[in-house]
Amino acid sequence: MATILGNLKQLFKELRDRNVADQPGNPSEMSALFRFRYTLFKELLAANSELLSVLSDMDEKLKGETVFGLSYITNQVNKSLRSAFQMVKNLNVMSSGKHRDLYAALEQINDRIKAIIEERKAEHAPRAVMSYEHILLKDADWAGGKNANLGEISNRLHIPVPEGFAITTKGFHDFFEYNDLKEAIIKQKNLLYVNEFDLLNNLSAETLALVRSKPLPPELAEDILAACAGLWGDDQSVLVAMRSSAVGEDGDISYAGQYLTLLGVTRSAICEAYKSIISSLFSARSIAYRSSKGVYDEDLAMAVACLKMVDSRVSGVLYTRHPYDITNEHILINAVWGLGPYAVDGVVTPDAYTVTKDAGLTLQEKIVATKPVQLALHAGGGVGEQPVAEDMQNIPCLNDDQIRLLAGYGAALERHYKCPQDVEWALAPDGQLLILQSRPLKIQNPAHSGLPKAVPLKGYPLIVDNGEIASQGVGTGVAVHVRSMEDLADFPEGGVLIARHSSPEYVMVMRRCSAIVVEAGSVSGHMAALAREFNVPTLICAHLLDRIPPGMEVTVDAYSGRVYAGTVIELLAAVRKEEAHMKGTPVHDQLQRIAKHVTPLNLVNPDAPEFTPLGCATLHDLARYCHEYSYKEMFQISDLASKFHGWSLKLDAALPMDIHLIDLGSGLKESAMTKWHAVKIDEIVSAPFQFLLQGMLSKEVHGLEPRPVNFSGLLSVIREQTLTPGHIGDRFGDRSYAIIADKYLNFSSRVGYHYSVIDAYCGNTISKNYITFTFKGGAADDIRKNRRVRAIARILDQEGFRVGVKGDKVDARLQKYPKSYIESRMDILGRLLIFTRQLDMLMTTEHSVEWVADNFVAGNYKLTAPPAEA
Amino acid sequence: MNTLRVLIVDDEDDLRETIVKRLNARKIQTEGAASGINALEILKDKDFDVIVLDVKMPGMDGIETLQHIKKLKPEIEVIMLTGHASLEFGLKGMQLGAFDYVMKPAPLNELLDTIGQAYNKKSGLTL
Repeated sequence: MATILGNLKQLFKELRDRNVADQPGNPSEMSALFRFRYTLFKELLAANSELLSVLSDMDEKLKGETVFGLSYITNQVNKSLRSAFQMVKNLNVMSSGKHRDLYAALEQINDRIKAIIEERKAEHAPRAVMSYEHILLKDADWAGGKNANLGEISNRLHIPVPEGFAITTKGFHDFFEYNDLKEAIIKQKNLLYVNEFDLLNNLSAETLALVRSKPLPPELAEDILAACAGLWGDDQSVLVAMRSSAVGEDGDISYAGQYLTLLGVTRSAICEAYKSIISSLFSARSIAYRSSKGVYDEDLAMAVACLKMVDSRVSGVLYTRHPYDITNEHILINAVWGLGPYAVDGVVTPDAYTVTKDAGLTLQEKIVATKPVQLALHAGGGVGEQPVAEDMQNIPCLNDDQIRLLAGYGAALERHYKCPQDVEWALAPDGQLLILQSRPLKIQNPAHSGLPKAVPLKGYPLIVDNGEIASQGVGTGVAVHVRSMEDLADFPEGGVLIARHSSPEYVMVMRRCSAIVVEAGSVSGHMAALAREFNVPTLICAHLLDRIPPGMEVTVDAYSGRVYAGTVIELLAAVRKEEAHMKGTPVHDQLQRIAKHVTPLNLVNPDAPEFTPLGCATLHDLARYCHEYSYKEMFQISDLASKFHGWSLKLDAALPMDIHLIDLGSGLKESAMTKWHAVKIDEIVSAPFQFLLQGMLSKEVHGLEPRPVNFSGLLSVIREQTLTPGHIGDRFGDRSYAIIADKYLNFSSRVGYHYSVIDAYCGNTISKNYITFTFKGGAADDIRKNRRVRAIARILDQEGFRVGVKGDKVDARLQKYPKSYIESRMDILGRLLIFTRQLDMLMTTEHSVEWVADNFVAGNYKLTAPPAEA
Repeated sequence: MNTLRVLIVDDEDDLRETIVKRLNARKIQTEGAASGINALEILKDKDFDVIVLDVKMPGMDGIETLQHIKKLKPEIEVIMLTGHASLEFGLKGMQLGAFDYVMKPAPLNELLDTIGQAYNKKSGLTL
């Protein structure tokens, strides 16, 4: 970045030397202006993604299967409010305050949410160190989820867990206060980036060193040692495992595994190990993560779990039901000799036991594998592989009694938590079975789990086998194709919505439809979030419309990503749900009440009269509004381009128009910036622009030979145009402008006698990708103009865009598609831009609308004679 | 941006002094003030185009300082800078007419762009 800016500066200096500065403003101003806007836009998109991910996590938690506490709620609420504020603020800064009423709307939502939060606040930890006998699930706020869970299992279900204790958030705060660390660390962090070189690693190293250099408060150290003595007396050979026990767990995958875990810690080293673990909050990765997510460090806290390490004779995993074959309810147990990682890492094939979940706990199946090696604990700490004695390799790791006892634990856990569980267990040297961890079993998408998929159910034709899962569940009904808003109006109860694009507007029928399957969309987009909120099974799957004709009876299995023809009774029988354990708790109630101001989307239709700032009743509404208008603001960036046109770079390409480039940074190769020449095609890095040019330059559409008919037609049209100056309006200068960044393009052009604007984002995050395209104006007589507009609309519709026509203006949009698809559409738009230059001449008859459009879509660009009127 | 004059108001000495130094190095006439009161005193005698104002300061906080600035010299554009989580401050700041609300740690290049745009707005150059 620094070098690009440096080069820009150099370039501008040269420009100035050439004395072309008779334009308003100056080059560095221009560059900063565009960059500023683009940065605001990118931040807005990022905040939108962040907010949507919080929404989907809240919906997930509302199912009530996962443990969470009040600090989870506070964290998520703050995160979503922050994202919403960022969006509202950025939209207003971008638009010079055109949407100021959004602040009032956000203020109102904020007040309502804060009032609910004030009613119940997280309790503080009574003590800094607590053994598991004093911890229950409700203490997750200060003990962390993992600790609270183990306490619950041990104290409520009386199932054995490893010995150990929790160092609560009070311990963390005591340590920070004792050493006055908080302010010092925040101050240090605020300096980050103010210096121009990358300070992140330095900052992280300094903070880690600072935290480790400080002593524990004497009382905290004493408490920790006393907890050890209480559990293990004088036995100094005990080794413990220490890991963070997350507080306010946000379910965000990026958090997982970020913090240090220490295994085989000796008793004398526990205090030092504790400091190492909490200081891992300040690893470069964690700092960068929080900074990029806009998480402030004020509320940082961490609880730590200290567990006696079990030198397991046997260990493994237990699922209280099959993880993806939803018709299989049996308890599944995997077991290997030694420590657990070998059971999950696939180093050895584990034994597999199947037990029925009824009162009898019947051992149904017992597959014994050959287990030649095991992972074992070394006496001095650490782990290593060891051979398994030969006579042990082929015998079952657990006897039948142990299997049934363990299965009983599993069934009890599922009953207690009211949802399927994913359990880690171990057999201690003394023969006791211990539960190490129990968490909700996600009914997995086999595509993501790396496991083979369940075999498709027999007796039903499989229509779709590999859909992307946007919202889990099973639904059955009659297929209804939705192509427009009118189709939604009379959507039948229980129908399965089939459409080409995802759209939040489908929310209108989400209470009525039993499933949604669309050809394109993002699993993290608005519609997916809504589908999860309404619990509508939803799949995304290409090439769908032809395979599922309207009226066909289908069953959508949004656990395995499949669609079957017919009604699959086995699947429907498997999904009846029990009330999950968090439901009815005060914490769950609070989340539910807050979620009402966060997750529902009321503003679905941007053209509706209530699509206004004051119509925003939830954070989701605000996000939708800002998202919609940010497109419009970016779209208009081209208005600015002509003001500064003395400062742009020219593109050197064999095109019938001049294209001027404005780089927002990283849209061009550096070589293009260092010398003063017209930019070559291969110096363009901007992905959307590359593909647009590819289409524009395509030999097929160019036609090497001039077409006499068209040429004379063109000339006459141009003559008409020059006779009526200002006909198109003076929104655009005479040039085409491409404002580019690596993933962004705003392309405005006046090609011949019409104008068009393309605004596109094309990166690896599907939910951020979009193309908007507007085409307007024309010099030919009105009938032809209108025909041309209809031809373009028809083409765009067939090429996958959502299209609207008003007068002589076409608006087309497409969003949330993978990069490769956006690229292919940019190529098409490039072809279309060139193709449309001579379209008017072909628009002699009404029939030609269809004829032109269908030929374009078929790739026949060389049209010489329009068809005669039918 | 020859005439651009900037005032940095922040009680964190290291941060304030670094920004002042870096902006001056870029030929932007920049001064620092360690508190809101201090800033208002400086404003009595001197004019600025853009003020970068920390939100959380002991004594007079950023919001109160912003109110005084907007009363005293409404033409000055103010960029709020915050290292602390407070939506209420953000909302209040923007509603009181701050140009932008930027989170610490802010990359200097971006802060410079923001200052430049605030200046443009003050000079009547529309966004």
